Amino acid sequence: MSATIRNLEGNEACALGAIRAGCRFFAGYPITPSSEVAEVMSRELPKVGGTFIQMEDEIASMGAVIGASMGGVKAMTATSGPGFSLKQENLGYACGAEIPCVIVNVMRGGPSTGMPTRPAQGDIMQARWGTHGDHAIIVLAPASVAEAYSETIRAVELSETLRVPVVVLLDEVIGHLTETVDLSAVPETPEVWRKFATGPRAGFQPYAVTEDLIPPMPRPGDGYRAHCTGLTHAPGGFPTQVPEVATAAVTRTTDKLALHRERIESWRVQDADDADLLIVAIGISARAARQAVRDLRTEGLRVGLFRPVTLWPFPEEALRDIVARSGAKAVLVPEMNQGQLVLEIERVLAGKAPALRLNRIDGQPITPDEIADRAREALK
Amino acid sequence: MATTEIRFSGSGGQGLLLSARILAAALALQGRNVAQSNAYEPVSRGGLSRSDLVISEGEADFPLARRLDYLLILDLAGLGVSDHLLSPRSVVLADAELVPDPPRGDFRTLALPFAETARSLGNPRVTNIVALGTLCALSELCPPELLLERVLAMTPAKFDRLNRDAFAAGQAMAVHEPA
Repeated sequence: MSATIRNLEGNEACALGAIRAGCRFFAGYPITPSSEVAEVMSRELPKVGGTFIQMEDEIASMGAVIGASMGGVKAMTATSGPGFSLKQENLGYACGAEIPCVIVNVMRGGPSTGMPTRPAQGDIMQARWGTHGDHAIIVLAPASVAEAYSETIRAVELSETLRVPVVVLLDEVIGHLTETVDLSAVPETPEVWRKFATGPRAGFQPYAVTEDLIPPMPRPGDGYRAHCTGLTHAPGGFPTQVPEVATAAVTRTTDKLALHRERIESWRVQDADDADLLIVAIGISARAARQAVRDLRTEGLRVGLFRPVTLWPFPEEALRDIVARSGAKAVLVPEMNQGQLVLEIERVLAGKAPALRLNRIDGQPITPDEIADRAREALK
Repeated sequence: MATTEIRFSGSGGQGLLLSARILAAALALQGRNVAQSNAYEPVSRGGLSRSDLVISEGEADFPLARRLDYLLILDLAGLGVSDHLLSPRSVVLADAELVPDPPRGDFRTLALPFAETARSLGNPRVTNIVALGTLCALSELCPPELLLERVLAMTPAKFDRLNRDAFAAGQAMAVHEPA
C-alpha cells in the first residue's frame, strides 16, 4: 500500500484538505457530527505552525475565524446545524466584508438540536440563505471521503481567490464515513492566496471596483489604511446609504460570483446522455442514486444521475443542457429533507421536465432500492 | 458492483466501532477498498451501536450495507435491526450468552461463546477481539497475522497479551465450527 493510500474519515479528510491548502487557523466549538474536524485540527495544526483555538461558543468561533483571516491567515471552522444557525450573523459579516473563510457544516437531523447522531440534508437552503440580505456565498457538497478532501482544498482556494465565504456541506453519513482514499489523486499545485494590495498607500480603496470585481485585500503590516464594516460600504470602505452607491456595492459582490461562475461550478454526470429519467442528488443520497442507476441500467431502464458538486451557485446551465440533450421526461430529486433541492431544480427547469420528489426525514439514509422503486414507478 | 458486507452490532461500549476500524485498516493494507460507516446513540455507553464495512473493487457506489455477508451480534441491542439485510449469502455470528435468540432463517447462524471466552481470559472487554478472530478465520478476508498486527497497533500496548489470547481463542472457535 502506497503511503498516500489511507482509510480516512470524511471529517478527517476535510481537516487534512484544509491544511494541505494552507489553512493555518481553526477556531471551533465541538458539536456532533462535526467534532472530528476540530479534533484533527487540534492535533495537526500545531505541527505545521498553525493555531487551533477551542472557543467559548459557536458565535465566537466564527468571529475568531473572521479576525484571523483579516489578519492574513487562511482560516476555517466546522459545525453542525445548531452551530451553523448561531454562526449566521458573523457569516453575514464575512459575506458583506468579503472575508475569505471556510465553514464545514456536517448536517444532522433538525430543526433545533434535532437528532445529533443521525444524518439529514435539511440545511441545503440555510447554507444559501441562512444569513440575511442579498449576499454572495459558495456551497460545495462532497459525496465521498475523497471528495471531502479535494473539495475542502477547493473551498480554501475559492474563498481566497474570490474573497468569499465557502461552506463545505456534508451530511452525517459522509462526515463519519471512512473510505480508502488516495491522497495523491489530488495533484500538487502551487498554494493559492488571496490577491494582496500592492501599489501606493495613499488613496488606497479597500473595496475598489476592479475588472475582476475582486478587491485586493490589504496585508496587515503593509501599511494600508483600511476600514472594514458590516454596514453597506462604498469602495473607500466607509458606510454609505446613498442609494446608487449601496446598489453598486451589493451588486458587485453578487456579480463577482456570476463573473467567475465557470471557475466555481462543478458537477458530475453518470449515464445522463440518453436518460429518460434524470436523478439529481447530493451527498449520501447521490451515492444511493449512483447504485440505483447502475441497478436500473442492468434492467434496461434509461436512468442517469446529475450530481452538483458545487451546490450554490447551482450549476443551472449544465442541468438545463443535460435535460435538453437527453430529452429526459422527468427529474427525480431524492433528498433527506421535506424538499429543498427540488425547489431549485423546479426553478432551473421552469417546467421543461417535472421534478419528482423522494424524501426522508427519519434520520435514515435513502437507499438505492427506494430510489430504484420510485424510478421504475416514474418510468411506467 | 460486487461487494462483501460485514456488520458489527451490539451495545455502545463493546468496541464494535474499533473492531470494524481494525479490520478496515487490515483490508486497506492489502489494497482492498473499504467503506466503513457507523451508527450509535448520543450516549457514551449502551444503546444500539453498529459499524458496517463494505468491501469493493474501487470506490463503492453506495458505501452503506445492503446485503450482509457477515452479521456479528454481541448484544440484545443489536437484535432485530439487521434482519432485512440478511439473505442466503449471510452468516450470522451471535454471542451465545448475550443474544439468546439470534435470527434464524435460510442463512447460517452460529451461536458462539465470545463473552464467556473473554471472561475466562480475564477481561470481558476483549469480547470484540475474540469475535474478530472468529470472523477472520471464517471469512478468510485477510491473513490472520496481518489482522492481529493491526489489533496490537490500534489498541493500548498493556492489552497486547490479552488481545493476542483473545484473537487466538476466536480463531480456534471457528476451526471447531463445521463449514
